[in-house]
Formats: sequence, structure tokens, C-alpha cells
Amino acid sequence: MSLPPRTRLTAQALAVLAAGELLARRAEARSGKLLVFLHVALKQRALESELQAALPGLEVRAVGRLGDFERGLAEGQDAVLSLPAVLSAHGLVARLQGTRGLATEEKYSLVGAGTAPDPARVTAVGALDLLGREGTNAFVYDLLASKPKVERVTKFEDLLPLIQMQKVEGILLPTRLVPDVQAASRLALSQRELTKLVKLPALASVGAAGPDVLGAVAHLPVKVSHTLGVDEWR
Amino acid sequence: MALTRRELLIGIPLLGLASCSSNTGGGLTRATAPQELGSSIAAGKPTVLVAMPDTKQTREVWTGLKDELSGHFSLFAVKVGGEGGGDTLAAAIAAHRPACIVLMNNPTVFAYARYQATTRLASYPPAIVVMTSFLDRRPAAISDAIGISYEVPLITVVTNLRRLMSSPVERVGVIRRMPLHSFVERQATLARREQIGVVEQAVSLEPNAAELKYALRELKQRCDAIWVLNDDRLLSERLIAEGWLPGLNERPYKPAIVGAASLVSAGQPFGTFAVLPDHTALGVQTANRVFDLADAGFRLSDDDEVDLPLSTTTTVDLAQVRERFALRRDALEQVDHIVE
Repeated sequence: MSLPPRTRLTAQALAVLAAGELLARRAEARSGKLLVFLHVALKQRALESELQAALPGLEVRAVGRLGDFERGLAEGQDAVLSLPAVLSAHGLVARLQGTRGLATEEKYSLVGAGTAPDPARVTAVGALDLLGREGTNAFVYDLLASKPKVERVTKFEDLLPLIQMQKVEGILLPTRLVPDVQAASRLALSQRELTKLVKLPALASVGAAGPDVLGAVAHLPVKVSHTLGVDEWR
Repeated sequence: MALTRRELLIGIPLLGLASCSSNTGGGLTRATAPQELGSSIAAGKPTVLVAMPDTKQTREVWTGLKDELSGHFSLFAVKVGGEGGGDTLAAAIAAHRPACIVLMNNPTVFAYARYQATTRLASYPPAIVVMTSFLDRRPAAISDAIGISYEVPLITVVTNLRRLMSSPVERVGVIRRMPLHSFVERQATLARREQIGVVEQAVSLEPNAAELKYALRELKQRCDAIWVLNDDRLLSERLIAEGWLPGLNERPYKPAIVGAASLVSAGQPFGTFAVLPDHTALGVQTANRVFDLADAGFRLSDDDEVDLPLSTTTTVDLAQVRERFALRRDALEQVDHIVE
């Protein structure tokens, strides 16, 4: 049965209006900006593209250097995804916490060539630069309960060269990433798991669209969350 | 035979450092007054003077340096280049009285060497040399200097390649002239830690295209990948066109790893992968040396040596790879730039 012309016109108008509203909503969602500062086992370009594909309504930017993170923050964001230690160092409060196996914290390991390094005796350690020189030194000292020289690197894959070139006796990283380092090397790498735990990635809301961004991240596909070292968000 | 001083200072790799050297005027234009490219003042803190040409790469190094050192040191970046580079540097040193100097690229090191030769002081602030070719020992031309070499170590190159290729990479072939024999030997020693074998194919000091092509054919029979050195004598336009390109583009195909992004091109298959220093990370690594020097009262010890660059970026010619090689399933997640 065909609709009378006037009704058809009204229906078409409503459809146009609805489409317009939908577009407007999408545009609104597009204004949500998410800044990600996490070190994972893939390049920042790949991480950004994976997150962007999973969060089509948002503008996602992934950075690996603290300087880029601080510049990105200054440019204005709606939400920030990083380790809680990084968030609190910048005066931000975690509103959405990642969990893995119901835990909100994870273990770190000290990895070296040959025998596993002793955290109490190690003299030089490689670590990802999370908090700048003083902050990262303090982070490492706290985890190891000792004060070795800390060689900071800006990318996950730069940890292995520190061992290959014998710049350090051990590298410090989340235990979940140890297999990735071992897979990339033929050195006999040994690990010592540390007792102190580190909080898993979390999100802080820093802009008007922050709650929308947090809501979108809370529903990330499990595979993408796993890339970030997380099972769920709460 | 080691590289001569002249070769070290002016033998800039044709492509790898071309953009670093091009803006310096090729040593022909006389520099005028010191040109400040950037600064960051921290009152009461020691000063770090950064002497550099103004290029995209050196600005990235400067960004890494500044992010790390701002607030801890006063920083001044000065454009140095050309025959008057020594004068420019002298004026900047007199004006800023630095506790430490960072020198970026070969002409800048050359300018600082001339400054030292002219002034002949009892001592100089420690200098950190970066972005110069084949620096693997403390620079002999200037006193009180250490550095970070610019060539990506073979061990890093092959570790990256193994992350990408689905076929095993056990032996890497390299064509080298005699002046780079000791460089290759040191790289091979380091690479052995990761069970990487190096097959060297020596060519003459001035090889022609036929010699290069023959060397390449020999090498391809005995190795899993070709490592192309940033040796400007081997990368002339003619040798690329008449030696490298025909040699690499005939069977058996082997992935070629190059040290210059410009050698990876979708239009003309030469480098399969380029593994280059990450310049911003190089700035961070340089900044860490500055912190170390500050901790030591800005005095160099005999233990201070030249470091290797830790951080790299990888570029892949995806069209060439798809046609000739097989990549690991998640290989592209480990690549910074894709050319296709």
C-alpha cells in the first residue's frame, strides 16, 4: 500500500530530520578526544589505528613519549588513558580502571641475559620512561627496593637493545610483556618477578566529552583491551 | 686501514645524512652572526649549548633534548654551518659559557675542531657528538668529546628484521670497501650475541657497477638478507642505477636493509626495509648523557665511550615485500612507516 503524497512527504522530512540528528550526534561524538600514553608490544602507529578502529566516534591519539603526552594534554583532551601513576603525577584522577582476572594491579619482572638479575644487587636497569627522570627513577627504586642507575627508553622495543648492548644488567617491564621480549631475541633471557604490584591502565576524564569517551572505552572489544593489558573496565 | 680524518668529517653518507648537510650550505657560504634556533632558560642552572644545522632531523633531536633537559638546564640551540661555523660557535660559547656542548652532524664537529685549534685552551667543556657518520670511538679531532654513533647497529637491524620476516634470518651479507672493514667487524662481533652471521664481500676502493653487481650476486647465494652500508662511495647515483638496482632486482631475491628512508621507494625497488635512528629518541638519549655528565661534575672519565643509538624506526616497501617475501602475521604492527 502506497502512502498519500502529504504523508509520504512528512515521512521523508522526518527521515531527513532523523538522519540529520544522527549525523549531528555522530559529529558530537567525533569531538571526543582520547589521548593514550601506554607502552605496549606494538608500534604507537598500530596501537592508535587499532584503538581508532574500535572507537570510530572518537579522535584517538597514541603517544609513547612523555613530552608528547604533556603536549597533547596541553592541547586539550576529553579523556586520558595511561597508568594511574602517570595520571596522578599530572593531577588527574582515574575514573575508569582496567582490570585483569578481577585484579586492578599487575606484576612486573626484571629480565636479564643469563641468570635472572637480583633486584637488590643490580647496578643498572633499563625502564620505560613514564614519569621523566626523577619520577621514573623513583618508580624503579620503589619496585626494586634498591637504587640502581636507571637507563630510560621511550619505546617498549628499545628495552631489548639495552641488554643486547650490555648497557644494563636487567630491564624492568610488566610480566605480561616478557614473552614478547623473549620472542624477539635469541639471548638466554631470565626473569625475576617482583613482589610489588603496579596498577593497570586507567582513564581520567579531562574534558566536557570525557564521560562519553569513558563510556566508549568501557565497551572496547576484549581483543583490543587485551592489547592494553586489560580484560575489563570498571 | 681506518677512515682518514678528512673522510670522517666530510664523508657524509650521500643519502642518510643528505638532509643534515644540505642546509649547511655545503661549506661554501660564510656564516654571519650566531643564529639562535631555540632556547629554554632555567635561572641559575648550568647551560647546554646545542650547535646544529636547521633540518627536520636535527629539530627532532632538539625536541627530545629540550623535553628532557628543560627546567634542569638553560638550553640554547645555535645554527652552525659553513666556513664561518667556527666563528659562530666561538661567539655562542663566549655569550653562553656552556657547561656542556652538543654537536650535531659532521660540519658542526668540523667547526668546533677549528674553534679548538684556534683557541688552544687548557680544557673545554665536554662535548657530545651526534649525527656524524661512522663514529664508533671517541672523536680524535676534538678534545673532551664523547658521542652517540649514527649508524644503527646490525644487531638492532636484524632483530627488527626477524620480527617482520616469516623466513629465518641467520646470515646477513654486506658489501664493503676496505675503510669500513673494522666497522663491519665490530658490528659482526656484537651481532654474534644474537646468533647473527655476517658474510662480507669486499670490493675495491672505487668499485664500478660490474664489480658491485658481481659482489651482490656472490653474496645473495650465501645469505638471507643484504645489509647496505651508508657508504657514499657505494651509493652514487651511477652505482645505484647500474649496480644495486639490477643486482637486487634479479633472482634469487633477498630483502635489502638500508639506512636511508630515501632508498625505500614504491616506484623503484631498492631497500626492502629501512632501519633508521629515531631522532626524537636520539635527543632523549643525548639528554641522558648530559645528565650523566652533570652528575660527574661535567668531567669526562676514561670510561666514557661512544654509545650506540638505542631507538630506531622501521620503514617497509610493502609492494616489494608482497611480491617477493613473506611477512609474519602481525609484522605490520612492528613497522613505523609503510611505503606502497
